Amino acid sequence: MKQLPVVLAIGLTLLRVSATSAVQAPEVNPDAQLLLEFKERVDHYLQLRNKADDGAPPLEKTEDVAQIRQAQLTLAERIKAARSGAKQGDIFTPAIASQFKRLVHLPARETGSKEILKEDNPGAITFKVNERYPDKEPLATVPPAVLGSLPKLPEKQDLEYRFVGKHLVLLDTRAHLVVDYVPNAVS
Amino acid sequence: MPSRHVSRCASLLALVVAIATLGAQDITLPAKPDSLKFAVIGDSGTGSSAQYRVAEMLFKARATFPYEFVIMMGDNLYGRETPKDFERKFELPYKPLLDANVKFYASLGNHDEANQRYYKLFNMNGEKYYTFKPRDGVRFFALDSNYMDQAQLDWLEKELAASGSDWKIAFFHHPLYSSGGRHGSDLQLRERLEPMFLKHGVDVVFSGHEHFYERVKPQKAIYYFVSGGAGKLREGDVRPNSELTAKGFDTGYHFMLLELEKDVMHFEAVSDQGKSVDSGSLPRFSDAEKKKLAGL
Repeated sequence: MKQLPVVLAIGLTLLRVSATSAVQAPEVNPDAQLLLEFKERVDHYLQLRNKADDGAPPLEKTEDVAQIRQAQLTLAERIKAARSGAKQGDIFTPAIASQFKRLVHLPARETGSKEILKEDNPGAITFKVNERYPDKEPLATVPPAVLGSLPKLPEKQDLEYRFVGKHLVLLDTRAHLVVDYVPNAVS
Repeated sequence: MPSRHVSRCASLLALVVAIATLGAQDITLPAKPDSLKFAVIGDSGTGSSAQYRVAEMLFKARATFPYEFVIMMGDNLYGRETPKDFERKFELPYKPLLDANVKFYASLGNHDEANQRYYKLFNMNGEKYYTFKPRDGVRFFALDSNYMDQAQLDWLEKELAASGSDWKIAFFHHPLYSSGGRHGSDLQLRERLEPMFLKHGVDVVFSGHEHFYERVKPQKAIYYFVSGGAGKLREGDVRPNSELTAKGFDTGYHFMLLELEKDVMHFEAVSDQGKSVDSGSLPRFSDAEKKKLAGL
């Protein structure tokens, strides 16, 4: 009989602690969590690229275009090998892709955005994840309003957002490779 | 027979001389010894005969107007960018200028790969946007208008603020003001760049993208030129009766020649036939005038 109050006291304390914990637990913002996950995936890609770049011919200022081209192609080949199973959705998971679509929805309808997205867009061309961006095609200009709505990419890392048709592409401009894309990001 | 032969030779020689001096004849710029002289080409990199024709005229113009460097408005190479393409679309057409140590400063257009920044002859110093000061009192800002993110805007703000009382000349691919039927003014870019240009007193802005020549009426004390016809041409694309246009030329290819003195800029647009299509002198607005006209 003497033990009962102790058990009750422990039980009540636990209940109080758990109630307090429930109150104090930081609210998880699902949008922020998705953006954090996106950042982690991008960082992971950059780690992989840096590893692939290790020992590769350097991209440096030169008058020799062949040297620039060779450095770019070698890096691209190494990344392709390191990500041999890469596919759409590796970075833009379905949840992250949905989040991106929400982010660009309104800015893509702003004055000027539609025109820019249409004019410079290479249109419905064939491209693949982990492959070179098609050589002859222009790179669509990204409307500043859309760019401002998207999560910032790491600075000086040569990653850019671009549009190909309705798809939002994550482009590695150093290797000129398509890293991943959000299908039908704009309507 | 010999006299007829001599006469034919003389005629041929006269023709060769006429062709050789073509392009130099129409240039009306003062070409003062101490001024800063430069040229502008835009949307040049097609490798077409038109590009070569413009390049030839550009070279010939240097005989009477010895410009030091050329700024490029982007679309420096259309299509593929292999070493052969660099040769055909840049190194060969401009070889006489490159041989004469004329420097080219490129900005990126929507047809250009970012790795052009590593190509030494484009003098981009490995950066997609950069600044250079060819001499005291003048500073150029080359921007990447394809991708105007916050990092670039922050950089520009910092660089403009540090440029003091220099002539400030910005150049990039997409025009903030244009009467082009195909593209027209880039309003979103304008929304972001113009306030900064006004705040820091940018004097002149050059752009391409539109395949014609347009001198825009001064906008809030800034002079705007569209010069995107050094390799491409979109005939009849300058909207007639546009309120923006001070002068338009969309019936031929062209390049521009510029001459800066302390407080005045002389300009001339020259066609691929060596004819002057627009020229004049523009006074530099004082800080007070800039503020007044900009409504600051």
